[in-house]
Amino acid sequence: MVKPLPMALRYALQALAYLGFAVVIGYFSTGPAYRQLGDNEAVLKLSFSHSGQLKFACHERAAAELAKLQPNMRNKMDCPRERALVRVELDMDGLPLYRVSTAPLGLQKDGAATVYRRLSIPAGAHHFSARLADGPDGAINYAKEIRVDLRPGQVIIVDFLTGSGGFVFTRG
Amino acid sequence: METMLKSLRRADEALSAAFDRAFAPTHNPWRHLGSLAFVCLLTAVVSGIVAYALYDTSVAGAYASGLRLQNDALLLGRLLRGVHRYGADAFMLLTLAHLLREAVRGHFRGVRWYSWLTGIPLLWLLWLAGITGLWLLWDERAIFSVTAMAEWLQALPLGADLLARNFLTPAALNDRFFSLIIFVHIGLPLLLLAATWVHVQRVALPRIWPPRALTIETLAMLALLALVWPATSLGPADTGHVVAQLSLDWFYLWPHPLVNALSAQVVWWLAAALTLALAALPLWRGPTQARRAAARVDLANCNGCARCVADCPFGAVVMMPRTDQRRHPAQAWVNADLCAACGICVGSCPSATPFRQIEDMVSGIEMPDAPMAALRRELREQLASLSGASKLVLFSCRQAADFAKLAKPETAVIALECAAMLPPSFIEYALRLGADGVAITGCREGDCEFRLGDRWLQQRLAGQREPRLRASVDQQPIEVQWCGSDMLGAEAALAQLRSRLRPRPTSSHPAPLKESEHD
Repeated sequence: MVKPLPMALRYALQALAYLGFAVVIGYFSTGPAYRQLGDNEAVLKLSFSHSGQLKFACHERAAAELAKLQPNMRNKMDCPRERALVRVELDMDGLPLYRVSTAPLGLQKDGAATVYRRLSIPAGAHHFSARLADGPDGAINYAKEIRVDLRPGQVIIVDFLTGSGGFVFTRG
Repeated sequence: METMLKSLRRADEALSAAFDRAFAPTHNPWRHLGSLAFVCLLTAVVSGIVAYALYDTSVAGAYASGLRLQNDALLLGRLLRGVHRYGADAFMLLTLAHLLREAVRGHFRGVRWYSWLTGIPLLWLLWLAGITGLWLLWDERAIFSVTAMAEWLQALPLGADLLARNFLTPAALNDRFFSLIIFVHIGLPLLLLAATWVHVQRVALPRIWPPRALTIETLAMLALLALVWPATSLGPADTGHVVAQLSLDWFYLWPHPLVNALSAQVVWWLAAALTLALAALPLWRGPTQARRAAARVDLANCNGCARCVADCPFGAVVMMPRTDQRRHPAQAWVNADLCAACGICVGSCPSATPFRQIEDMVSGIEMPDAPMAALRRELREQLASLSGASKLVLFSCRQAADFAKLAKPETAVIALECAAMLPPSFIEYALRLGADGVAITGCREGDCEFRLGDRWLQQRLAGQREPRLRASVDQQPIEVQWCGSDMLGAEAALAQLRSRLRPRPTSSHPAPLKESEHD
């Protein structure tokens, strides 16, 4: 059988156990530090919600087409709800930075297309060029270019607001 | 896998033994991880209630609230913040340690599946409760975490594609966010408390509270830590600037770096896989885990005393109105789904006495795989075959170890499913039948595989619990050793018992009592 330890030693070991527990909690509640960005890096956030154009134009149903439908469904005009893909191209200093084609949300694909992307980029002066295509033909119909100087850690937000004429670049 | 589990279990036992040396076995914190976690949860809840009274749920006021507390001249704010934060951190750490320990001990199998399964949602709840608390401070860490969380959620096909837009610019955020988060941060711990109640429903006498000394010492440690190593806010949240290097609370924020290192989808798959793997563990029985038959009540011998109900560690035995014509008002009934087949109920049954004269004795409650008649027969046979100056009988708990190797010409070893399966009358019976001493070994004190076996057996031997070891029985030739799988400990117990035995001539052993005498 193991001989019991002297009381003083037991108390010391208990104190040591609590100290160890406290150090683990204290240390891991703040450390080790996490590096989420390089020292000379900035952040670009591309984020928007935009509804593409309708994929198909309305057309008038012929009498034969109407006859095939249930009586309560016989609308003369057929307007498909599906919207076109939204394609975005973002270049930095003349080089492609990000490319994405986003499908509209919803079962009928009639909702908005949403984009969110966070990118780390080098800090400093940059020339950004953003283009967006939202029509069924896939042709670019919005474009904007901008030159910005970003400090390390600074955030630049690239939004798209139809009401504001297209791309909006905001510096944090 | 089973071998690995055994090795881990041995490591756990060694760690328990090390803690036993520093703390008393009953105050060993390693055995109170769950209840210590509960104390830390309550600490976080109580300190959180006070902190809520001082918190400003607005974009402008949230950060200032944290600063006000940490800069309080009387240090009370620092104490409050620190105890709240470190209490929550300790809660996470202790809960994970509790989960690991229970996993290592195979406590996800058999009747424990319910406690295991209901514990899994607690992990998610406590993580969410903790992480939302860090957001309320609205500092650089908070905006990093809330953005990372939004980005992680966006990876799910839930239509929450632009959740992170809420944290893109100061204009995107309003005071309602903090009202919502504080609602969640208060609601989740309340849900945690309720879920904890569900978690312990299938165990009798759950250890909700650790020993008072451990509680006080833990609270004192948290308070000291709060004062010495204050929990502080970082710089104010800034949507326009990302801090390159950030101090994280790793107890709660570890998924964010993981998402950045892998991807949101991969971490979701990992989280789902881990959760499902934990939930599926009870299905894994292992090669040596053939289910033992549940305890069975024998109505002819059950007088409805309810001792088995009081002693069952899993609440598997209940009393019900008598179904036969006997005069006793109630009878025991075993819910086989809850029965761990530990046999503790048999050890508590007053009819499980070997002094009964019926050859095929049956007790009021029996383990079909290990009937009392067989135990008595084995005891008689082994005692008859013993030789030497001091004949010893060792009743060893099978859960702790297989001590069959200790059997010698002068030592009989009888294995039991649990040490508490042994009715105290068997000790007296062994002594009267010629044994010079009786040793009992089992899992380490407080570590009974069936939760309460060591406690009940000690109380029965001390005459504090029914069925008591009769006061007239000399305790000197009885040695109880909670040595776990420590073979040396068991050998030492036998040696110690042998050394203190008074040599008795064989002829001095009285004949076994008759049933009428014993009752």
